[in-house]
Amino acid sequence: MKKIMTALVFLLACLAATAQEVTLTVEAPESAVAGERFRIIYTINSTDGQFSPPKFDPSFSVQGPQQSTSRNVQWINGDMKTISSTTLIYYVVVGTPGTYTIPAAQFETKKVAVSSQEKQIIITAGGSPQQGAVQQQGQVKAAGDAPASGSEVSMKILLNDREVYAGEPITGMLKLYTRINLSGIQELKLPDFKGFLKEDIETLPLRSLETEVIDGVQYGTGVIQRFVLYPQVSGEIRIEPAGMTVLVQERTGARDPFFDDPFFDSFFSSVSTVPRKITTQPLTVKVKPLPEPRPADFHGAVGSFTMESSISGTDVKLNDAVTMTVTLKGSGNLNLSGEPVISFPQGIEKYDPKVTVRSSGTSSGTKVFEYLLIPRNTGTFEIPPLSYSVFDPKAEKYVTLRAGGFTVKVTGTPGQEESAAPVYIPGEDVKYLGQDIRFIRNGKTRLATVSAPLVSTLHYWLWFAFALFVAVLVLLVRKQQIRRNADTAGVRNRRAAKNARKRLARATALLKSGNKEAVNAEVARALWGYLGDKLRIAQSDITRDKCYAELRGRKADEEMITELDRILTASEYSQYAPVSEGESPAALCERAGALIGKLDDVLD
Amino acid sequence: MRRILLIQFVFLAGIVSLAAQTPEERYSQAGGLYGSGDYSGAAAIYRKLWEEGFRSRDLLYNAGNAFFKSGDNASAILFYERAKLLAPADEDIDYNLQIARSRITDRFESVPQLFFVRWFDFLALLTPTNIWAVAALVMFLVALVLALVFLTKARARGRLLSFWLAIAAMILSFLMISLALRNNNLVNHNSKAVITCSIVTGRSAPGETGNELFVLHSGTTVTVEQELGAFREVRLPDGNKGWIRSDCMEKI
Repeated sequence: MKKIMTALVFLLACLAATAQEVTLTVEAPESAVAGERFRIIYTINSTDGQFSPPKFDPSFSVQGPQQSTSRNVQWINGDMKTISSTTLIYYVVVGTPGTYTIPAAQFETKKVAVSSQEKQIIITAGGSPQQGAVQQQGQVKAAGDAPASGSEVSMKILLNDREVYAGEPITGMLKLYTRINLSGIQELKLPDFKGFLKEDIETLPLRSLETEVIDGVQYGTGVIQRFVLYPQVSGEIRIEPAGMTVLVQERTGARDPFFDDPFFDSFFSSVSTVPRKITTQPLTVKVKPLPEPRPADFHGAVGSFTMESSISGTDVKLNDAVTMTVTLKGSGNLNLSGEPVISFPQGIEKYDPKVTVRSSGTSSGTKVFEYLLIPRNTGTFEIPPLSYSVFDPKAEKYVTLRAGGFTVKVTGTPGQEESAAPVYIPGEDVKYLGQDIRFIRNGKTRLATVSAPLVSTLHYWLWFAFALFVAVLVLLVRKQQIRRNADTAGVRNRRAAKNARKRLARATALLKSGNKEAVNAEVARALWGYLGDKLRIAQSDITRDKCYAELRGRKADEEMITELDRILTASEYSQYAPVSEGESPAALCERAGALIGKLDDVLD
Repeated sequence: MRRILLIQFVFLAGIVSLAAQTPEERYSQAGGLYGSGDYSGAAAIYRKLWEEGFRSRDLLYNAGNAFFKSGDNASAILFYERAKLLAPADEDIDYNLQIARSRITDRFESVPQLFFVRWFDFLALLTPTNIWAVAALVMFLVALVLALVFLTKARARGRLLSFWLAIAAMILSFLMISLALRNNNLVNHNSKAVITCSIVTGRSAPGETGNELFVLHSGTTVTVEQELGAFREVRLPDGNKGWIRSDCMEKI
């Protein structure tokens, strides 16, 4: 009942307002693509009143409203008729697909309040949201009264990554953002990108702008220059600002107090071109150094690559060129990737590789190393498998790429082409390729624990003392012996003459018996005994020569020696020869006695 | 399950065989590891053998090589120096030592030893100390016998000869004793040490308070002059002296 009453009151109020005919209409698309911008337009045929916007769904991102009012005054047959209207435009982007309801908006005047219809909108899932898909040629639109993040015209350096490894490529671009009409750009000054190696990507000259909404503000954007940066040093690297002069179309007339918005400038005033300088903000990029230790076969390649190798032929003639090709494929700093080091066998002449980089616009592409090889010797040569380390910044580690090696068979007769020429074999110095320690010894070795050094033990030194002691003992014993021997010899020496005379006396006694031989033998024995005792020669090894030599050594007269010789000869001769010849034994005895007397004088 | 058992069995067998290995087997095992590129594994085995007291020129030479290849230059130099004491005339040791020395940081204008000291040391290191010692004893006995001949053989014809020979043998014996002592000194009481810390400061007094005099890097060979607490006074190859922590060096 109460509801009916309110409805009635509402109806009456409407009727009352017909004079004014206040209406609130809403225009919105039936459907829209998710992520794409669409407009909701409210139109009110009145200028004075309070518009209260609808409560939009939270998933709506709303910009605006862009409000405009118009007033028409008509004079018809003296009657004045005023038609005024207000338009409010909301720009809405809905991210998630679904069916949404736009609730009713309210408009209140002093007399009446009206509300709009509710509207259903279906948001369909579209492709990837394409910002600024609608290209508005020649006209730069600015969205409502959303404040610009910077000024009306700005420029930015955009990098795809701000924290990279040294050598890892960064793609970047210099982009222009504008909310106003521009008629051109001049004096583009790019920074020198200190610490980077910059490679420009071919960019079409800026002819048209694309619309893009950033933080609720619509901008006309355009890429001025695309490039790839390869950091060369590590650390925080600052990119200095880039500068440019833009030609701004500026209104010359006085500004309209109501439409103080650049959007309307183009409609209501004549424009002139004014140059304006813009710069970018300085940037810093954090470049991390490549981790240590770097593999020995790392030559500066950073990125993700694959590697292949091929050879033009494996069965070749002597002195015919062979090409070995190594292809590095992938994305990364291809230009800065050094050539792989291949240890070609000696006997094959190697030339520096021909390097070709085929880059497909950005940093991905292929790099081809072509090695020209000329075999100078026949035989089978082994080109070892190739290993090439690259740093993968995504995996943050070194990856070793491998490619197969080849076996090249070289046939032909050496020196064929020079057969006519005189044979000259130039000597060649031995090539030293590197330096390394010599290899270990794997032969048998005697592993023994070392015994204590003898010199630090006491018993070793005691051996010396013992040896010395024994030697002294031996010496003492021997000395004693010698002394004793010397004593007996001395006794015999002293008694030599006496003994000899005794023998001679016995010989004289034998004379009477007439045994001539016995007498002579006794004389000889007396002499020999005397000589042996006196000269200290044992009877066993006594000879005439020894005695004579000894006598001469003792300064005996030669006469004496002759006499001795004669007596000895006579006595020995008479022993074995017939008795008739020679001297009488008595005379011999006498002579012997005289000689001993004489010798005794000399020898004592 | 069976596989696990099998693995365990193999593992146990490995341990058992490791325990039962003779030093020669471990030596050749280390050689195999070196050949296959596991330098630090080979170095560990060589070092263990050395610590157990086994000595051989080839063992120390190989240990030096293994340490060099595994990047530990200081230990490589240490073991080459030790090998050089066992075989001063070995050309390979000299060559590798020279290469290892070329990779260290510190460079010195070293004062060369006097030539006769060098020759004497070289002679002393030609054979182990005990061989010199035994030879000296034998030579002493020969000298004594010759002396006895001289003293007892009165008027014998070789008397003079035996006298001079006895003198010569006695001199030789004393020379050999001094060589044995020198060898023992060089090998067993060496005062040389190799710096093992990558960087160490030499100070003017033992302790952390002395004035800083110099900075040494690993691989430098110094001569230890005296020891006080945890510090040693060392003499650098150029003649300067300073105190360094004992745990930053290893004696040859």
